[in-house]
Amino acid sequence: MNGLLLYIDPGSGSYLVQVIIAAILGGAFWIKKFWRRIRSFFTRGKKEP
Amino acid sequence: MTAAADILMHPASFRDPAGFVFLLDGRLYRQVNPCYAGSYDRLMQSGLYDALTRDGLLIPHSEEQALTARYPDAYRILQPRPVDRLSYAAEWSPAQLRDAALLTLRLQSLAMDHGMSLKDAIPNNVQFIDGKPVFLDTLSFGRYDPSEPWIAYRQFCENFLFPLYIHFYARTGTHPFAAAWPEGVPAATAGRLLPWRSRWNAGAWLHVHLQARIGGRQSGGGQHRHNFSAAKLLRLVEHLRTLTERLAMPAAGDSAWSRYYDETVPGEDYIRDKERIFRRFLDRTGSGVALDLGCNDGWFARILAEHGRPVIAVDADWQCVDRLYRKGISAILPLCVDLANPTPACGFRNAERAAFTDRMRSDLVVALALVHHLALGRNIPLPLIADGFQQLTRRHLIVEFVPATDRKAMQLAARKDPALLEGYDSGNFEAAFGRYFRLDERETVAGTERVLYLMTKRQP
Repeated sequence: MNGLLLYIDPGSGSYLVQVIIAAILGGAFWIKKFWRRIRSFFTRGKKEP
Repeated sequence: MTAAADILMHPASFRDPAGFVFLLDGRLYRQVNPCYAGSYDRLMQSGLYDALTRDGLLIPHSEEQALTARYPDAYRILQPRPVDRLSYAAEWSPAQLRDAALLTLRLQSLAMDHGMSLKDAIPNNVQFIDGKPVFLDTLSFGRYDPSEPWIAYRQFCENFLFPLYIHFYARTGTHPFAAAWPEGVPAATAGRLLPWRSRWNAGAWLHVHLQARIGGRQSGGGQHRHNFSAAKLLRLVEHLRTLTERLAMPAAGDSAWSRYYDETVPGEDYIRDKERIFRRFLDRTGSGVALDLGCNDGWFARILAEHGRPVIAVDADWQCVDRLYRKGISAILPLCVDLANPTPACGFRNAERAAFTDRMRSDLVVALALVHHLALGRNIPLPLIADGFQQLTRRHLIVEFVPATDRKAMQLAARKDPALLEGYDSGNFEAAFGRYFRLDERETVAGTERVLYLMTKRQP
């Protein structure tokens, strides 16, 4: 299956880059989510501006 | 997989083992090879094909059962809806490249929803039809394995993202980079072309500079498990989308040709009278595709479009082309082309992408306020200009002659060898063009010495 798919050479380095970028984006995603939760804890009950 | 003996394989269709495009009786078909059968069936049966064609994102096709039966080597023979005119990234403005990139990313996330993934990401898969980018390559969809990253990520970066980053930082068009690197700008090159401060930009750092450092590495063969996931890939695609959207800068109003018609021409009376003559000539030219050379801000291209003609509008100034494209006039295909150096035939055997002059032959060529730029600005003799224009038109030509005594022409010739002006007059102009054309009409634009001509090509 993979042999069929890989008619272009993606370069294994390009896979490594994606793994790193995905990890960073994932980290940013969780930080954002966490931050939102903290903010909503303090602004609970208040109306969103 | 080879083609049957009686069909003519398209000269650009040989890289993908999944199938190829061929010509038969003047029609374009696409063969699906048996090795792609599983992916093709999934494309058609998962609802992905219907979703993509319904929204005009993918070119629709019909399955040709009779032809399929004729060629036992084929799993299916498809007839895609024909595309009138092909253009390439080497002719697109940054906004066009951006929209082709966004289409590619949208296709990738829609494909993932249906268990598929794009196995390549190149601008040649995209064409502009009625002002919108449409994906042409039905065989680009492969089965999606969520444990794998995106196989086409590097291609996407090198062909779309890096030229857009260079455009963003250097305020240049993207088309010269597509022309210079037809298979994409390598990450290491892009990294060195960007200014140092681009390292402070998270997107540029991750995709350009980080990839330049480690992207070229090869681990010694063998299959790896990458532990990727669909959620990770969707986040990556979404990240690429937000970056791509931001990178095509709206052209500022200070390029060489922008605001030409607003400020620098002899005035509003000139443009009004020129338009009157142009419309009068246009009524005598029938219908069919029009090619507007040196279209500038597209004023006359718009008039051509209003007349119901499909229009190819070209200019050497990418900012003009970008602005015209952003106006979103569906009948107009704006392209960055310098007439003194039009796009050559490219690819293997120079046969994968045809030259501009072979691709864009039209029923009417319009060249307003252009001849003096080619003759006095680029030193091209009038007989060669006439030959260049006759190559591009099948029938009519509307051309403006700006004499050497005109203020604009004098500016162009000011610092040049006076010998260049010898023979640059309306007599020689008419003689040069008379060799290929019948001069039907001529009219001087009120208050100027500029003359508009309507000509019909002599048929051999």
